[in-house]
Amino acid sequence: MKRFLTALALASIAFGGAADAKDFKAGSKVRIATEGAYAPWNFTDSSGKLDGFEVDLYADLCERMDVQCDLVQTAWEGIIPALQAGKFDAIMAGMSITDKRKEVITFSRSYMGSPASFVVVKSSPLASLSAGLDALTLADVDAKEKAGLDSMKAALKGKTVGVQISTTHENFLNEYMGDTVTVKTYDTQENLDLDLVAGRIDAALASLSYWVPLLEGEKGKTMAMVGPKMDGGPFGNGVGAGIRKDDQELADMFTKAIDEARADGTIAKLSKQWFGFDGTPKE
Amino acid sequence: MNLPDWMLLLQWGDAGWGDEMVRGMLMTLAVAMAAFLLGIVIGTLGAALKLSRYMLLRLIGEAYTTLIRGVPDLLVIYLLFFGGSMALMTVARMFGYEDYIELDAFAIGTIALGTISGAYATEVIRGAVLSVPKGQIEAAKACGMSRFLLFRRIMVPQVARFALPGLGNVWQLTLKDTSLISIVGLVEIMRQASVASGSTQKPFTFYLTAGVLYLILTAFSNKGFGLAELWANRGVRRA
Repeated sequence: MKRFLTALALASIAFGGAADAKDFKAGSKVRIATEGAYAPWNFTDSSGKLDGFEVDLYADLCERMDVQCDLVQTAWEGIIPALQAGKFDAIMAGMSITDKRKEVITFSRSYMGSPASFVVVKSSPLASLSAGLDALTLADVDAKEKAGLDSMKAALKGKTVGVQISTTHENFLNEYMGDTVTVKTYDTQENLDLDLVAGRIDAALASLSYWVPLLEGEKGKTMAMVGPKMDGGPFGNGVGAGIRKDDQELADMFTKAIDEARADGTIAKLSKQWFGFDGTPKE
Repeated sequence: MNLPDWMLLLQWGDAGWGDEMVRGMLMTLAVAMAAFLLGIVIGTLGAALKLSRYMLLRLIGEAYTTLIRGVPDLLVIYLLFFGGSMALMTVARMFGYEDYIELDAFAIGTIALGTISGAYATEVIRGAVLSVPKGQIEAAKACGMSRFLLFRRIMVPQVARFALPGLGNVWQLTLKDTSLISIVGLVEIMRQASVASGSTQKPFTFYLTAGVLYLILTAFSNKGFGLAELWANRGVRRA
């Protein structure tokens, strides 16, 4: 299905692409698509109103770009071909920036990261694990971050770390710690949690968007998050606004507005409000 | 009084999704009926083409039914939805109109589903026409009936009767095919259910509700077609 949609998107470009480049500038009309069915990123409340992280963020970004925005609700299936066909000008729908998607569309810089972190049971000796860092960006590691990464690696040496199979988190473990820790993979995150509580594994690695709600609830009351929030590198490029390749200047406008919203703490505030943690993407 | 979760989720008004789901059901019904009627019109034309004495017309009818029945319904919808608006905009550009043209989702959905159900209706109606005994047509001609009178008095009443069971089938296909047009952004049962389940993280509640709503629609339409068949066969003694 996904491949078919990509093919359709490519075909639509091949057939002369009805959507020629538009001139975007201050005062322009920009139509932004969202799915409205992916809480807490974007969803519909029971009265039919759109709400969520991206619904708040788009209004802020449009004000910064000084453009008139229309938010359109559209189905996730076919959202990229619809962008190509010119039904709207940008996608803000929790869409991760991936190389596969970059073959057909372009992206603004990310407005939300995909941070991950280790979790252990509170009684574990690893509960005091700290790399002396709050956050760690794996794309460009400086000396302090390198030291932190090494101390984490040393603390986990010989331990068993659980991770959900075929995830960016598994890639990270294999790439950065594969030689010193035993990586145990699980088909579901729930099975991973059960083994962590049962003591079959010493630590678990997953995304903050999973851990934060879990640790607040009944199931997570014996668990604790340890070490820094890790982002970038094998954890991916975060989530950004998808835009037609012809409209690079619109992507640049988004990037500039997102950088401003990062700098003044707007993204931090919104991400704490909707996700329960600060997922502001780094450089 | 503590209502169970699912009842709270499905209550009427702004606090729940009950009214939204029922509105989705009405939309499903509206699109299905519009598409089914369009399908009967197309089907009648298609049957006339396929039964024509001219080879070219027969070929056109043959190509239509082979093509539409041969490719997945979803593909037909994609082509009309994405291709349609692109073609329209390309034409508009030639005349110097640059703005985006939005095609009405209901119209696109109706045309797409009507095209699909028309192909199936063509075969049903063609079969019904062929079921009218040849002797009756010869007798009518011998009585001196004009072609139009023969069509109105002899063909239509009998074709309608023979076609009813098959058309009932086409109706149910059309009704369920409406779930495919949720991609054009039309808020029918399936689209509403997926929006509600994604927004509340309660997929079972809403997809089960969607299933029940479809069953209500099909149960009532079964009954409707049963009554129509009774009426159409009122002059015919069952063996």
